[in-house]
Amino acid sequence: MIGWANALAAGLMLGVAYTLLTEGLGTALLAGGAGALLGIFFVRGAHAAAGTGELDADLVDLPPGKGYKVVLVDVLHSADEGVAIGVAMAVSMPLGVAMGLTLGLHNVPEAMVLSSVLARRGVSPTRATLLAVGVNAPQVALAVASFSLVASWPALLPWLAGFAVGALIYRTLVELLPESYHQAGQTSIAMVTLLATGVVVLLAGVVR
Amino acid sequence: MSDTLVVFVYALLTALATGLGALPFVLFGEVSPRFVAYAGAVAAGLMLGASFGLLAEGSEYGRGATLVGGLLGVVFILVTQRYLGNHEAPELIFGPAGVESARKMLLVVVVMTVHSFAEGVAVGVSFGGGATLAAVITIAIAIHNVPEGVAITAVLRPRGVSVARCAGWSVFSSLPQPLMAVPAFLFVETFRVALPYGLGFAAGAMVYMVLVELLPEAYRFGERAQVATLATGSAIAMVLFQRWL
Repeated sequence: MIGWANALAAGLMLGVAYTLLTEGLGTALLAGGAGALLGIFFVRGAHAAAGTGELDADLVDLPPGKGYKVVLVDVLHSADEGVAIGVAMAVSMPLGVAMGLTLGLHNVPEAMVLSSVLARRGVSPTRATLLAVGVNAPQVALAVASFSLVASWPALLPWLAGFAVGALIYRTLVELLPESYHQAGQTSIAMVTLLATGVVVLLAGVVR
Repeated sequence: MSDTLVVFVYALLTALATGLGALPFVLFGEVSPRFVAYAGAVAAGLMLGASFGLLAEGSEYGRGATLVGGLLGVVFILVTQRYLGNHEAPELIFGPAGVESARKMLLVVVVMTVHSFAEGVAVGVSFGGGATLAAVITIAIAIHNVPEGVAITAVLRPRGVSVARCAGWSVFSSLPQPLMAVPAFLFVETFRVALPYGLGFAAGAMVYMVLVELLPEAYRFGERAQVATLATGSAIAMVLFQRWL
């Protein structure tokens, strides 16, 4: 189950990355590429600093003391997702709404994992929910920030779009996919991921 | 040169690139599983980036048709895998010595040869989508063929096959590329409505192969962070390169 949830999330993120890559860069390829490198090394550096590089969010046998790391990882997640939503909104409002919905949907399995960790530590469901939402607060802040940045300085659009694309793809490849391969068969993982990507690409094309 | 001949020559060049996979063995004598994993990660990124390009091109002609084509591509690989018994290359290369040598050598060549069918279709249909797309896809597949040659050589070489013959078998495994590229090209040229289906087919088949084979293999023998960096970097570089052309 968790494997498929991860694969679903991976597919949704790949779809969002594809959409931003085709819609957000325009002709500023170098800026987009530089932004993408920044995005990759932002997530990589954050993982290295937090020591969460090889942490599976599988959590059935999470050692005590690692719970806060799940929270930390989730906070990081919401950072580049926020940038992605802000950038998509700057490209066009309907696209932004579609990407927001997609990433919102993808937050659900993430929150499930987080809540199960908290519940095992005796945190009440209400507080767990609040914390799960709180963890995603940077998403809102960064979405607003990147949207208004791009609105003021349009030249920043390819940088931020590149950043979001690099971070999203890197995170899919470093966390979601390797975890999901441990949790379910490769064939079903590939199918779920592809299906999710296809749906996002289709959705983005329709609302463009 | 007629268009058909150009397609054939390009796809033949991608096939010949597979032979370069024997080169590291000439230079270093042998290669580690980790090296093969990282080469695979780069190949996965290139395929992912190239598929993004195919998908974007296909969407210009018809979004629904591209997705239907993508689904067909996935089903194609699924069926061929079932038929071959779902053998994974890494187990073949570095797995326990349970399988007898001759069978192992035969299997790795067969598996890689089947891969090449979808890649040949990709080269062919990309010519239907214009010169830029064709150049990008040809280059992506040529580079991606090199790690396939590495994988084949890694199986054959320790079993006493000479480097030249390893290169030969590597090229052989990619011969479906020129053979599939020409009919695929002629098909989408004759029936323009088929173009988005063809582009989608190639994209679906390639992404599926990335997800079901290249990435899991790379994770098994390489470090996650390195695999992800290499694959993400080469995927984005591929897309930017295509835009630049």
